[in-house]
Amino acid sequence: MMDSFLLGLSQILAFDTLLYMALGSVAGIVAAAIPGFTVTMAIVLTLPLTFAMPPLQGIAVMLSVYVGGYTGGLISAALLGIPGTPSSVATTFDAFPMARNGQPGRALSLGVWASFFGTVISTIVLVVAAPPLAAVAVKLGPWEYFSLIVFALTIVASLVGASLLRGLIAGAVGLAIATIGPDPMMGRPRFTFGVEMLAPGLPFLVVLIGIFAISQLMSELEKPDAVRAEGSLIPKTIEFHTFAVMREVLSRPINLLRSSLLGVFVGAVPGAGGSIANLLTYDQAKRASKTPEKFGTGIADGVVASEAGNSATSGGGLIPLIALGIPGSAVDAILMASLMVHGISVGPRLFLENADLVYGMFIAMAVSSVLMLLICTLSMRYFLRVTEIPKYVIVPVVTVCCAVGAFALNNRITDVYLLGFVGLLGYIMKRLDYPLAPLVLGVILGPIAETNLRRALMSDADWSTFLTRPISAALLAAAVLSVAWSVRSHMKRRRAAPAA
Amino acid sequence: MSGSTVTEPPAPNGMEGASASSAPDGETANEARAAELAKLASYVFFLLGAGVFFTVSLGLPDSRWEPLGAGSFPRIVMGFLALLCVLAIAGSARRLARIGLPDGLARLSGAAFVEHRLVISVFVAFAVYLALMRPLGFAISTFLFLIVAQLIVARRTLKSALIALVVAVVFSFGLNLLFAKVFLVFLPRGILGGLLG
Repeated sequence: MMDSFLLGLSQILAFDTLLYMALGSVAGIVAAAIPGFTVTMAIVLTLPLTFAMPPLQGIAVMLSVYVGGYTGGLISAALLGIPGTPSSVATTFDAFPMARNGQPGRALSLGVWASFFGTVISTIVLVVAAPPLAAVAVKLGPWEYFSLIVFALTIVASLVGASLLRGLIAGAVGLAIATIGPDPMMGRPRFTFGVEMLAPGLPFLVVLIGIFAISQLMSELEKPDAVRAEGSLIPKTIEFHTFAVMREVLSRPINLLRSSLLGVFVGAVPGAGGSIANLLTYDQAKRASKTPEKFGTGIADGVVASEAGNSATSGGGLIPLIALGIPGSAVDAILMASLMVHGISVGPRLFLENADLVYGMFIAMAVSSVLMLLICTLSMRYFLRVTEIPKYVIVPVVTVCCAVGAFALNNRITDVYLLGFVGLLGYIMKRLDYPLAPLVLGVILGPIAETNLRRALMSDADWSTFLTRPISAALLAAAVLSVAWSVRSHMKRRRAAPAA
Repeated sequence: MSGSTVTEPPAPNGMEGASASSAPDGETANEARAAELAKLASYVFFLLGAGVFFTVSLGLPDSRWEPLGAGSFPRIVMGFLALLCVLAIAGSARRLARIGLPDGLARLSGAAFVEHRLVISVFVAFAVYLALMRPLGFAISTFLFLIVAQLIVARRTLKSALIALVVAVVFSFGLNLLFAKVFLVFLPRGILGGLLG
């Protein structure tokens, strides 16, 4: 263990790795500061740049983009009242009023310090929780894995979007898309309909880029007048009071710890990412406060809770990825893909086969949070100009970067055509109020689910084994309960709503 | 960039960049009916898709080595999808029976088209860009796409045209050069062959 730790440490602390990580932090902060440009997009665009790097270096750079991205969203949230990313929505509730009240520097510094402590706490939880979970996961058979995937898909469908049924349909559409191409066990072609570009299947990263990035970019163009309006609300002089604000954040240990741990938990639940953590931690801080009426007027507790919460999901999201091989979010899925590009399979065996890589990831998380803090405190005032880039530049440029990312994945131009088609599908589904997360997770988890189902039945053709093995049965019961809970909540909401 | 404040947080979706789009504020009852009809159409579309895939999967060979063949898992998925779609269609039909069908569907479609004119224009430009990428190469097709897309979205002034030109050069020829020289990834070269790196 110590050897692996030291090996990981030496790779992360290499000068070129630190330099690339610093650039990654800057890229993440800048990307997330631009309204409409999300952490997912930043990670997607970083991926092709890491192909030529050693595996750990590539992952470390992507983690630094990830950590920086969760912080960058607060810049436009605080200064413009526009969440830079969906995971900084609740940050606007208090950071923006605080900035309007003449304290923009304090609002930004509070957010940066809260993000830093949230990431550090989540990294500690990750280091403590992931190894024992992986040790258990190694003992799981194909029955448990299949049941785990069923549970992951149902919980994502239950958690996101306005309608459970549309969430489940989106997940099933993702599973259907995953069946296109060669059968994962025998390699037989399926559903290609004579179209050559479908023969290798739909690469899940292309689907992911199309579904999230392209559909989000197009959504940014929906209000022509708003898109064409330009102007800046950023004040010319900002005082950050860095260390005074650090003490202010640390003087709220219960809020900080509660929000961070809640963020870790939400991050570890597949599908429930930073956007949910951001709102949930803000809500919990407000409930626990002696002065809830002050929330929304520009108080420090609101900024600390929302920013610590969304940043803590970064470490939490890595727990199921490293321990179980199940990506909890789109960003985790891209991290998983980048490991696969380097020929490393993610899952419980990662600890056994690539322990140095896992410890390197832990160290990279901690180093990324320090880099983010340094970069933000030293050069925040320069990042503020990023929010002034007009959308007419951002949208086409990022669209091109998505096309480059899709092409660079396999050097196949047909992947770029698929990107356009999937982007259109994603945009239409988004307009029709389908949650997109279950669809992408369906595409990613479909082949894993099919492989494990078929392996399980090859070992024992009796389907009831799924219900007689305790862990498998518990996971299937949890899947049923998550759907039942969601249906019950929906019924309650409908009864509570006034009759139309 | 608009400087308007956010008053209504979007529904959390759980993944970056994928916030669920709910119906816009102030949506009229007629628009709500049209939205429900569109959702119903999507359920029917997915049901038909599931039916086609299920039928095709029946022709996939069974395996001698395992109980499930290449077509079994797709059949389970398509059956599940079809079941969900039937439930959704039933719910949507009930809702439409309660709230009624939308009036002036053609007018609503026209209004939606106008509201989404930028999205449609940029999507069309993107489709043309993808079609031209192989024959013209990445650099030239990207340059043209960036110029066209920026001029579609921006207010047409001399300043925005100059910005569009600079951005188009940097992110087409510049990006092509960066990938070729630094990352050793060769983007489609098209008619210029290896002239651009």
